[in-house]
Amino acid sequence: MERRPIWALLATVLLPVVPIAVDAQPVPNRPDLTGVWATYRAGRGADPKLAPPAAGPLVLKPEFAKPYEARRAAEAEANKRGEQLATGSVNCVPYGVPTMMSVAIYPVEIIQGPKQVTIISEAFSEVRRVYLDRPQARIEDVAPGYYGRSVGHWDGDTLVVETVGIKTTVPGYRGMPHSDQMRITERFRIVAPDFLHDQITIEDPIVLEKPVTYTLAYKRMPNYEMVEFVCDNNREYVDENGVVRLKLHDR
Amino acid sequence: MRILRTVIAAAALLVAAVPVFAHHSFTMFDMTQRITLNGTVTAFEWTNPHAYIEIDVPDDKDGVKHWSIELGSPSILQQSGWKFSSLKKGDKTTLIINPLKNGKAGGFLSKATLPDGRVLGNGPGQREQ
Repeated sequence: MERRPIWALLATVLLPVVPIAVDAQPVPNRPDLTGVWATYRAGRGADPKLAPPAAGPLVLKPEFAKPYEARRAAEAEANKRGEQLATGSVNCVPYGVPTMMSVAIYPVEIIQGPKQVTIISEAFSEVRRVYLDRPQARIEDVAPGYYGRSVGHWDGDTLVVETVGIKTTVPGYRGMPHSDQMRITERFRIVAPDFLHDQITIEDPIVLEKPVTYTLAYKRMPNYEMVEFVCDNNREYVDENGVVRLKLHDR
Repeated sequence: MRILRTVIAAAALLVAAVPVFAHHSFTMFDMTQRITLNGTVTAFEWTNPHAYIEIDVPDDKDGVKHWSIELGSPSILQQSGWKFSSLKKGDKTTLIINPLKNGKAGGFLSKATLPDGRVLGNGPGQREQ
């Protein structure tokens, strides 16, 4: 007769008595990301240990690099003339993922739950939802949009979030073009008390020569109350030359 | 090809990694010029993406000249001490503005003197950190 190990015998005896012990898994002490976070930029007195490290190079494939650079040059040229070329934000079109994670000085709010993490950007009141411990969908099954589909899981002290399904018309990191094959992986980690880093890696086998990685840093704003941002009084408009103008009111 | 890629990578470093402005740049305003407007508020719009002060300013030529002055967003402004009720129709105020480059009667607020004497700017101020 096969001998059963002692732990198996004990389990047989104890299981009916303490069934809860079967389900209980060790629950790691997850970092608490819930709260409002201000972007913490490098330079100007920032602690270099807490500020984001330098971004990796953005290397586009040549066929995408040429139009990207042409657009950059046109923007710089217009700027010299005292004009701004139209962008989506001028028309109050939101930024989407990943740009919404850091817009000017607007904070982001993170609401962390056991099954979902919700991230709200104050600028344009953008909302993204990260479903925890769910499988990612195939890219071709996700309706292209501004926020795509994000799933996440905890890897020790790090929340790993993967996003697919960002619409190709949504400008990417630094305004880069991207294909429908873009995949964004974020690693959120508390690096010091009240300091959070979001390391973002963008993969796009069609547009990028190699993945690009950059990091956003945040500092907690303990008592900040988020301000609503509904774009209902947009007086900027784009003229027939694609230049941004301000609509003036008469008396 | 290698040269082109290197150039792109280098150029990318010069571009801000994140949007510096939420809505638009200041390019249309002449940030090197400042004009002082003493007048009467006809409307204070606490709205997004920008707040606005509409103001009538006495003018020797036309009697009264009307100006539309753009401010930051309520989020930005409340960090500088502004409230939705900081100005109302009929208030006398003094505004220092950066005018539009095209010469029309509009501009971007630099500083405002409220009826109670407080002077408020248009920047982020000291954000709680």
